[in-house]
Amino acid sequence: MRLALGVLLALFAPAQPPPPASADRELLVFAAASLTESVQEIAAAFQSRTGTRVTFSFGSSGDLARQIEAGAPADAFLSADTGMMDRIEGKGLVRREDRREFLSNTLVVVVPVDSTTSIGSAGDLAALPKLALADPASVPAGLYAKKWLEDAGVWKQIEPKVVPTLDVRACLAAVASGAMPAGVVYITDAAVSEKVRIAWVVADGPRILYSFAPVAASKRAAAAKAFLEFAGGSEGRAVFERRGFRTLPVSAR
Amino acid sequence: MITIDVRLPLEHFDLAVAAELRGRAVGLLGPSGSGKTSLLEAIAGLRRGVTGRIVREGEVLLDSAKGVRLPPERRRVGYVPQESLLFPHLSVEENVRYAMRGGSEEVFRDAVEILEIVPLLPRAPATLSGGERQRVALARAIASRPRLLLLDEPLAGVDVALRGRIVPYLLRIRDELAIPFLYVTHNTGEAALLLEEGLWLERGRLRATGPIGRVLEESARVGGDSGAVIENLFAGTLEELARDGVRGFRVGDARLFVPDPGHTGRGVYAVAPSDVLLAAAALPAVSARNVLEGMVSSARDAGGLRLVSVEASGLAWTVSLTAAAAAELGLEPGRRVWLAVKAAAFRPLS
Amino acid sequence: MSADLSIVLLTLRVALAATLVVLPVGVLAAWWLARWRGPGRSLVETMLALPLVLPPTAVGLLLLELLRPAGAIGRLLSGLNLEVLFTWKAAAIASAVMAFPLMVRPVRTAFEEADPRLTSLARSLGDGPIRAFRRIALPLAWRGILAGTVLAFARAVGEFGATILIAGSIPGRTQTLALAIFHRTQIGQDAEALRLVAITVAIAFVALWSTELLRTRRSRRLRGEP
Repeated sequence: MRLALGVLLALFAPAQPPPPASADRELLVFAAASLTESVQEIAAAFQSRTGTRVTFSFGSSGDLARQIEAGAPADAFLSADTGMMDRIEGKGLVRREDRREFLSNTLVVVVPVDSTTSIGSAGDLAALPKLALADPASVPAGLYAKKWLEDAGVWKQIEPKVVPTLDVRACLAAVASGAMPAGVVYITDAAVSEKVRIAWVVADGPRILYSFAPVAASKRAAAAKAFLEFAGGSEGRAVFERRGFRTLPVSAR
Repeated sequence: MITIDVRLPLEHFDLAVAAELRGRAVGLLGPSGSGKTSLLEAIAGLRRGVTGRIVREGEVLLDSAKGVRLPPERRRVGYVPQESLLFPHLSVEENVRYAMRGGSEEVFRDAVEILEIVPLLPRAPATLSGGERQRVALARAIASRPRLLLLDEPLAGVDVALRGRIVPYLLRIRDELAIPFLYVTHNTGEAALLLEEGLWLERGRLRATGPIGRVLEESARVGGDSGAVIENLFAGTLEELARDGVRGFRVGDARLFVPDPGHTGRGVYAVAPSDVLLAAAALPAVSARNVLEGMVSSARDAGGLRLVSVEASGLAWTVSLTAAAAAELGLEPGRRVWLAVKAAAFRPLS
Repeated sequence: MSADLSIVLLTLRVALAATLVVLPVGVLAAWWLARWRGPGRSLVETMLALPLVLPPTAVGLLLLELLRPAGAIGRLLSGLNLEVLFTWKAAAIASAVMAFPLMVRPVRTAFEEADPRLTSLARSLGDGPIRAFRRIALPLAWRGILAGTVLAFARAVGEFGATILIAGSIPGRTQTLALAIFHRTQIGQDAEALRLVAITVAIAFVALWSTELLRTRRSRRLRGEP
């Protein structure tokens, strides 16, 4: 009986470093899945620099935005497009002047590494039986891909063959597993997996722009802003560029 | 000890009973389904929809007109149901101690000693025999120090030999612990032995009340097959006088002869009605050791036989004869008769 | 490995919290349903059984509407400065709601099968209604309560649909075993996902086995065997 009580107590003791005193020293950042390795590297550097720990919840920007709207306790939001950020700003959850937009990326078509499929244009995708896309209804990577295919005039043909995934990394994994003949992801995602190869780089796709902002209601707003400044500073940008992102010279806002 | 004036709607009829009971041992008799158990439950406070008054020795348990309705846990009424209903997840000792909160260790000792269940205390109820369970149930009720005991056919479904073993305990409860009880039974022998007053219930209405002897007679006269078990039960004292395998047994003013059990002291014996011989004239010399002169008080038919109630030597006897024999002897109430009973017909119950 | 451990601890914390809440509430609801004969019983019965029948995401969405800052309960919580959504407490709430009907059913059956005369008898021996419930009805229903607890706990450990809507899948805070397995398969980390599956199986095994041990031991004791 006592053993049971002891176990209960141990479990209900906080699993994280405890509250108020060190609350300022840990940030919760919601970030687009494509940023996974890069912001983790930046956060490690940030922590050794300032002592503030950053934990992430990675997912599709659409889903993360939904959670923030519902009151999730995020301190900052790193979205893969401006549309999601606009939505949040419209609800008064972030302030326009706090937004930082300096990061871009490139779309690519990936196929399983041992696949012989050759893609020479958007139209070639129509010949495939299936195409994996991060859900074009709500995930920026899918929205960009859809825009690209619409502009190329082939969306109508391709749409019935699209298999939507919950986020861009799920799309990558679907192709890497060999279950899908091809998928559209960012060039930075392709670099992460050895099981895919790039079949086509989208040079004429829509403008990709990430949008970063601290959440206005956050109790750790100062630390969140500091982190975003750091990510947009020379060290942060170096990390992004090394991993294949493109950075814009000056913050677009 | 208790005044009742209650009404309770039941499935097929209404229970409506008004009586004032003064004896320390009152019987509740009547055919199955006449509302006896419901009446007990109403007194214990375990039934909804009871209206009227119940007053036990000045304490008002129920007065629906004034909105007084004491919850069962405050009525100090001990209820021993027909199936003992021991708490299966508690040991015998825990069952007996159930109602005792702290309480006097002496009360516990008394209860378990009077019912002779000390060796059973650590056992689980599932391992007990029927008779043992009934004794534990009685001990549990007594240990709660009730001001009134309600016993619902505590000896029904218990075989004859076992029944005999429990009857003395009931006598001890009546005499030594002096707890008044209301006792439901079908067994007229039990009733005659244990009880002083009686209520005869039929379809929820009282048909007879008063001293137990009179109630038994009236119920016998009213007749019908009430499923009653008829036995002659006698409680008395075994005497020093013993000879040829037979010992004297004094009941009231009468001396009977029973098979010698080898000791003196209290005893309870039963005689089946068919073991009693009835003579319309004095018996000169007969092999039976017990010959008594008496008078027929009533007679009725029961399942092809004639049951004759006789008062002899101050004791109440029930004798069963074939209808033909009864007709031959011409047994009307008031007739002088002689009874002959062999000593061997007396079965010891204790 | 320590990531796995923290997921397990989080899951256990959520499931235990949910079970601890569901236990008393469920037992009382089961008692009420077993004894109440009056009007409204069928309605309450049906409503309590809804989480069994509705898809977990539907339940999750309903909970979200209640708990969001503008919602009926969310407003209260904000007033009290309590943060619930997207924390482990929301995960516990999701699990509790989904597990609730699984607790009520077997306990209610146990109460219904028990002899009501035993509680009546306890009343006549001096117990008030609550005391009689505690000393007689409750212990006699132990089998149902044990079954209900195990089912509720198992359901709580595996809860996904409602959890992901009101607690999200935040690693370290609300990403329970079920959510983590899903996430890992999504990003192609099959080996890591399978590891978590193995841990889940182990937990389920231990829970069921210890329940079985408890049950046989108590049965033996009640029958009077050593």
